[in-house]
Amino acid sequence: MLPATALALGLLAALLAWPVPAALSRASWPQRDPLAALVCWQAIGLAGGLSIIGALLTHGLAPWGHSLPEAWWHWVTRQPPEEPVRGDHWVAQTLAAVLAVELLGVLLLSLLRTARTRRRHRALLELVVQPAAAGEDTRLLDHPAPVAFCIPGARPLLVLSSGMVAELDVAQVDAVVAHERAHLTEHHHLLLLPFVAWRAALPVLPAADRAHDAVRDLVEMRADDVALGSLTGPDRRRTLAAAIVAVAAGAGGQLPDGALAVIGGAVAVRVRRLLAPAAPLPVAARVVALACALALLLVPTLLLVLPALV
Amino acid sequence: MNTLGDLERAVLEHLWAVGAPVSATQLRDSFADRGLALTTVHTVLSRLEQKGFVDHDDARPRQFRARGSREEHVAELMHEVLGQAGDRQAALARFVGSVGDDEVRMLRELLAGAGDDAAAR
Repeated sequence: MLPATALALGLLAALLAWPVPAALSRASWPQRDPLAALVCWQAIGLAGGLSIIGALLTHGLAPWGHSLPEAWWHWVTRQPPEEPVRGDHWVAQTLAAVLAVELLGVLLLSLLRTARTRRRHRALLELVVQPAAAGEDTRLLDHPAPVAFCIPGARPLLVLSSGMVAELDVAQVDAVVAHERAHLTEHHHLLLLPFVAWRAALPVLPAADRAHDAVRDLVEMRADDVALGSLTGPDRRRTLAAAIVAVAAGAGGQLPDGALAVIGGAVAVRVRRLLAPAAPLPVAARVVALACALALLLVPTLLLVLPALV
Repeated sequence: MNTLGDLERAVLEHLWAVGAPVSATQLRDSFADRGLALTTVHTVLSRLEQKGFVDHDDARPRQFRARGSREEHVAELMHEVLGQAGDRQAALARFVGSVGDDEVRMLRELLAGAGDDAAAR
């Protein structure tokens, strides 16, 4: 039973390491339903890690039993293997351990590092800037460039620059604030964090890069959608699009040309889908996408556990 | 209100305004209207020091002064926000990321084009 399981998990891991992320990042439907696409990316990340570590572990522990839970128990309780242990078993075990430690370790490190950066930024903002009239969690920073950002966490802060307030009209500033509030209420930083960490952990894997960029752009689109829902006014889409362009133009020029892929950059995609929105994804398609995400998580889990039950 | 956060801000503002090293007792006297105990002043100062906003020298009594002006701290923060890379991207969510001049030009055309369409209809 074990070799077949290892093979199936390895195949799944290979699919999730290359063709699946490539296809999803090229697909056009995520723009029409960023939330469902974000769920899919989370499932791809989790299932990818689970299947590659599961495949290595299943192969590495094969001499100890016929299913992973059983083999794992025999290995932990130091029972003698039922079959001779070859070198490739040791290699697979070691790789599984290294990969698990690296993925979880980098995630933890990334978590600590961002928490420290946030704490430093929050301390600085709370000391240096008076609370704005708009609310206790809003700060107006004295700076000419139009910039808005939020610092997520238990005590979130929403920061606008004086340049932003000066250059944008009231409706546009409202749109910016609604966008940033959407990031905070939906905890988008938690959706992005694992992909930041795994991109750092797996620099050789193009899919890690691709997944990170896709998730980063999708949370922005999702925040745009949520912001539109909370805005009132005659032309909310145009207001938000104009705010995005104004901020990009005001803060632009810090990057040398060619530092980013210019045509079809993430900001242009956001503006385009605001000005010329595609029809939202049909409910059936959304259900299919979510079912695929669920299946991605269930398949490796069942492959690992099921042999123990039958 | 005399919460620690407010006191830290008030003490730092005071140090910025004075612009010269100040001892803890002098600080307590400057804030006589708040009725602070000397231990409170020391607590506030050590918290500010931990956060990197205040320095002290080894004179007796110790003299405290602000590390960097308000403008320098804001500039440092903005430098990080505008030039964020790698892990920093996860630390805060910026409304619009950095774009190049070419992309700005294209964005303006997009917005103008959509406006023409709306006007033509």
